[in-house]
Amino acid sequence: MFYIHSISSISHQLSFQSDGFSEKLFVLDDTSSLEVPDFKDILPPTALRRLSPILKISLTTALECRNKKEFDAIVVGTALGCLQDTEKFLNTIRTSTSETLSPTAFIQSTHNTIGGQISLFLKNHAYNMTHTQNALSFEIALIDAITLLKEGNNNVLVGAADEKIELLEKLRNSIIRSKYPLTSLATFFNLKNDQIENGIVIKDVTVNLNSTIQLGDFIDSFLEKNGIQFNEILKVYHSDCEFINGENTMNYLPYTGLNYSASALATHMAYDELSHNGKGLILIVNNICNNDFGLTLIEKC
Amino acid sequence: MQIFITGYGVISSIGLNSVENFQSLKEMKTGIDNTSDPIFGNYKVGRINYSNEELSSKFNLKTFGSRTAILGMIAAKEAFEGHVLNSDIRTGLISGTSVGGMDLTEKVFAELIENGVVSNAFNHHASGMSSLEIAKELGLENTFINTISTACSSAANAIMQGARLIQNNVLDRVIVGGTDSLTQFTFSGFRSLMIFDEEWCKPFDANRNGLNLGEGAGYIVLESEKSLEISKKEPIAKLTGWNSSSDAYHQTASSPEGYGAVLSMEGALKMAKLAPNQIDYINAHGTSTPNNDLSESVAFKKVFIDNVPVFSSTKSYTGHTLAASGGIEAVFAINSILNGVVYPNLNFTTEIIETKLTPQLKFEEGHEIQNVLSNSFGFGGNNSTIIISSLK
Repeated sequence: MFYIHSISSISHQLSFQSDGFSEKLFVLDDTSSLEVPDFKDILPPTALRRLSPILKISLTTALECRNKKEFDAIVVGTALGCLQDTEKFLNTIRTSTSETLSPTAFIQSTHNTIGGQISLFLKNHAYNMTHTQNALSFEIALIDAITLLKEGNNNVLVGAADEKIELLEKLRNSIIRSKYPLTSLATFFNLKNDQIENGIVIKDVTVNLNSTIQLGDFIDSFLEKNGIQFNEILKVYHSDCEFINGENTMNYLPYTGLNYSASALATHMAYDELSHNGKGLILIVNNICNNDFGLTLIEKC
Repeated sequence: MQIFITGYGVISSIGLNSVENFQSLKEMKTGIDNTSDPIFGNYKVGRINYSNEELSSKFNLKTFGSRTAILGMIAAKEAFEGHVLNSDIRTGLISGTSVGGMDLTEKVFAELIENGVVSNAFNHHASGMSSLEIAKELGLENTFINTISTACSSAANAIMQGARLIQNNVLDRVIVGGTDSLTQFTFSGFRSLMIFDEEWCKPFDANRNGLNLGEGAGYIVLESEKSLEISKKEPIAKLTGWNSSSDAYHQTASSPEGYGAVLSMEGALKMAKLAPNQIDYINAHGTSTPNNDLSESVAFKKVFIDNVPVFSSTKSYTGHTLAASGGIEAVFAINSILNGVVYPNLNFTTEIIETKLTPQLKFEEGHEIQNVLSNSFGFGGNNSTIIISSLK
């Protein structure tokens, strides 16, 4: 059992420092934007000036999960990384004929700038990993975090982030096909072996990249492995899965928007819902990408 | 639990396979040179002088992908040659990359910005796609696939990740390493940092001026004992130590005292249960930037005190291949053990004043190499060390 000791998200929902936000979710449209706190109160001036939105929201949510001890590991999942700085530097090299280019966007374009900035800010010298496997980046980061806890670490920061840039809109209806608005979000949480009474745990997480396996069969075998019947589950969160419907199910994409790290925010929603509503299990089904499935089981003990 | 190595493959500017790479190392023949490609101007790079089409046909590749994916397919195929897929062996692929499909993206980006033309090339952009393409070429589609992106330590971290998943009984066998192709994006990026040497790079030399960029891919196959019983593969070497630590000093620069490098080397030694004097050869990160080589030298002296082992940076041959370097250099480490050799550090003449360390200057046979330590350090202060050991 892996206990969530603190969790924080910045998204298009009112998720930041807002206990009970899962009861006030609203359907997003193309006009919705990131609900950000006043970064001036949180980040130093140099960070405010230099960091792109994905770095600001990741750093801010990661800092919310701090505790008195140094993290034993920092694990990040991101599908597309720091897109704004990537686009910025692509534009710089496209338009500039100068011998001298500004390196800032390049430096901050690598995927592990997220984890790197967190370690820099916290002066953390521990394991620092960045996983990027399309829409399963969060689940794979979570598998790494759990593996680290099994290996004897006890204070792991894990999360995922992806950002929307305007350029992505140009790829809609061709490369990107989705009826949901594109969004930015970051969710981080502190995962520990240490028990909390009536605490909320990540019970298990798994991924599938096997194109011959059906989602229904995959869910069945995952539940069987965990000794759980489908009807024991309080609620199923899914990303627009045709065959999951009924009153105890929720398609989370209208609330998270299309974002390859959406299942990380869904994890926070589930945490928030469980922390206000007694005991039980929530299953998060991430089926954003065709044959790639991620399953996360969250339980309030 | 022991982690056995049962295969390796590499492609770089000094050879299209591990035999060619070894031969170039032996002949002290660098792959770094000027090109006629206007992108690189007067700068020297370690480029593989075949187009994507030429490589695809030469290696009979069936899968289309970015150049990053193509290089990865070639090296991963060499590593996995002679291995057989078997449903009783849970096999995975963990690949490191920093640029992913950027080589394709940057070719079609202007058309998108200026004329709104959407190219299918964007489908290959995400780093995770390059790993899926490599897996597809290997027939590994139905397994665990993951991509690590921690800049220049990506491949070393992918190796570490694979070993940990075997130890934790998630996988029995895993192909691990990394791949990166030369792109205008990374070339211009490193130029903007002003850390290129216009001449051949001189790792660990007092007068070093910076790095030469390179491209390539390197993979190794890791197996558990249980996997060996089924695959009947003869192990070649063992992966005995690994560690990832953070320097937490600066986004791109290493701390002057090499704090993160000391942590990762000491962590890997501790895990391998080795004393510093049991390391027979170090394949250094050694990018040839003023900052890295001093920081890494200081870290060597802190870990190994007065007995710094034979060390060299093979980036003087291949150039800095970024996310691929830890994979390529893992293959070099294996060949150091198998052949009892140490590799020279090309272009060195003068010791760094502060540390007074001389790297290995000649290709030398007749060494008994039990343990090789290999460093890979990346942006974000990401310091990783792996240790590869002989079976003896």
